[in-house]
Amino acid sequence: MTVGGIEIEVLCGGAGKTALLMHGFQTISPKAQFLSELARHCSYFAPSLPGFGASKRPEDFDTIYDLVRHTLDLIEVVPDDNVTMIGFSFGGWLAAEAAVTRPTKLKRLILVDPVGIRISDRETRDILDIFNVHPDLVRVKTFFDPQRCAPKFDQMEDAELVTYARNRDSLCLYTWNPLLYNPQLKGWLRRINVPTLILWGACDGIVSPDYGRTYAKQIPGACFELIENAGHQPEIEQPASFVAHVVGFMSDA
Amino acid sequence: MRAFYSCEVTYPFVPQHVLDASDSVRASLPNKYCDPKVAADLYHETLDEYLVADDLGLNVMATEHHAGINSLIGSNPTFLGMIARQTRRARILSLGTLISLRKDPVRIAEEYAMIDVVSRGRLEIGLVKSGGSEMASNNGNPMRNEDRLWEGIDLISKALTHRDGPFSWEGKHFTHRHVNIWPGPYQQPMPRLWAATGDPRSAAECGRRGIINTLVLRGPEGTKKAWDSYKQARREAGLPPATRDMFGYAAMVYVGETDEEGMRIGSKILWFLNTSLKSAPQMSKFLPGAAPPEAAPQIYRSKPKVAKTGEATKMMLPPHQLQAVESKSAAHNAAALSSITAEQAVMQGILFAGNPDTVYRQIMEFQRRAGAFGNLNIIGRSGFLTHKEAVKGIKMFAREVLPRLEESNDVVHDIAE
Repeated sequence: MTVGGIEIEVLCGGAGKTALLMHGFQTISPKAQFLSELARHCSYFAPSLPGFGASKRPEDFDTIYDLVRHTLDLIEVVPDDNVTMIGFSFGGWLAAEAAVTRPTKLKRLILVDPVGIRISDRETRDILDIFNVHPDLVRVKTFFDPQRCAPKFDQMEDAELVTYARNRDSLCLYTWNPLLYNPQLKGWLRRINVPTLILWGACDGIVSPDYGRTYAKQIPGACFELIENAGHQPEIEQPASFVAHVVGFMSDA
Repeated sequence: MRAFYSCEVTYPFVPQHVLDASDSVRASLPNKYCDPKVAADLYHETLDEYLVADDLGLNVMATEHHAGINSLIGSNPTFLGMIARQTRRARILSLGTLISLRKDPVRIAEEYAMIDVVSRGRLEIGLVKSGGSEMASNNGNPMRNEDRLWEGIDLISKALTHRDGPFSWEGKHFTHRHVNIWPGPYQQPMPRLWAATGDPRSAAECGRRGIINTLVLRGPEGTKKAWDSYKQARREAGLPPATRDMFGYAAMVYVGETDEEGMRIGSKILWFLNTSLKSAPQMSKFLPGAAPPEAAPQIYRSKPKVAKTGEATKMMLPPHQLQAVESKSAAHNAAALSSITAEQAVMQGILFAGNPDTVYRQIMEFQRRAGAFGNLNIIGRSGFLTHKEAVKGIKMFAREVLPRLEESNDVVHDIAE
């Protein structure tokens, strides 16, 4: 479909209240188990951001500023006035940035291991430098059980590997410096005025649960909950638990 | 033929077990392994080599790399500034400062202008694309690196040639609202530009801009492809035909009194390839932008899945992407070079070594295969090759080979056409 003049791919499914899913470092696989479980409870709308998946990226579209405005466009095109935005990791950052601007259709916010703010001193990294450390370390730090859950490149199809690499290139283009955060965002999170749930993989080695607790404290009324036996992508490692949290929050809030 | 001597001031004294245990000998190796007292000796030796080269009619060049055993020249302008004052006749080639990784190209223009003025007009400015571990060392985004390079070149060129007070630059990648360097360059309108590139697309851009295009260790086939692209781009743009002086080739060169001596000592330069290229995967094959996404199946898999699948994907690629996949990434080139032997290096046209006759023949043969070039960039010392050996090699080349290459200009003129 076309959003703000940009041709993007979107995964859709389910029925009921709409969850807008903002992907993380990688686009959401249509085979993801959490997606089919989520579809039993709500409808989902999962776009690939410009430059990710099969979505086009206009030549001059290359900053977080562009992506945040695009996220606001996405909220507008969702065919529902009652939108729950679920942002994963990098997509959590974009969701938080968008929520700060108080879009009228946004009714609930769920952030899953989001990045986007800086909390520590200038010599302590909050977020693992995923581009400058060994890929094996990134793999181990991303998952509670890397053996079971990390992507298996040797088994992936050519097209999946091409998408994987394209996603990584685009992530780098948008987020290299400062890496995966906006130095100004933390101070603006106070403007988020919708019920907010922050979910965190208890074993996340990309960005720690303590970072998540600090994140939650900046957002008025936000709840923080851990998902055990999961790393940076609890939706992949513990899909049932993840969906239960989401469904509970969507029906309560 | 102009010849430019260089030594990258390598640091081969880190214990082998440390190098073996590190996933990269660049960017991330702690500097506790580099003794500044030894480094001082290496800098002094190299500067002395440049003075010998200057005395014997060679030109000199220096290349910048960061944070690794492959080079201690982390600031090319600093090193060239010393050379500018100490040498008397040599052309001084910066090949180069990593423009796309510096925050402010105007500052680079100032540094170049100073070097050109101090040397009274002997600077030549080489542009290198950079990549690999340099991105980490310089906090440089590997995406859009080439775009930043070309915009940086444009800004530097304007800063060096502008004479009428401040101008404003609000580009895609660089912003500087008040550009007005003092002094401007000694050479008018500005020093000659070079670019070290490896692919036909960049070579074509050099051709359109009239920039000297030098190929580093590419061998005759890859070099010919790039230069053909350069020549064709000029034809298509309606520009005068390319001439020999627009092309350069950078090779490892050592001239001994005998073939045995030339090969024995020259092969020491291969340390640069065998030992100092080791780079972590996140800084090489997995570096974003290092290869097009379409190359991912070859890069990410530990072994080919099914040959037919790869072929099928290739068939679907548009020509420019196919070329990118097939021309291999810089990381693949590095991997192939790291295990090369001296004999293979000679065969592949990346090492010219032997007695004067042999080296002369090797260089002429290379030109027959790749096309004539007017500039030879000599990588003359690396690894455990000693200062004394380097000085001997410089003298042998300058006295026994260079005069013959200069006489051969008429011979190779035909090759250029």
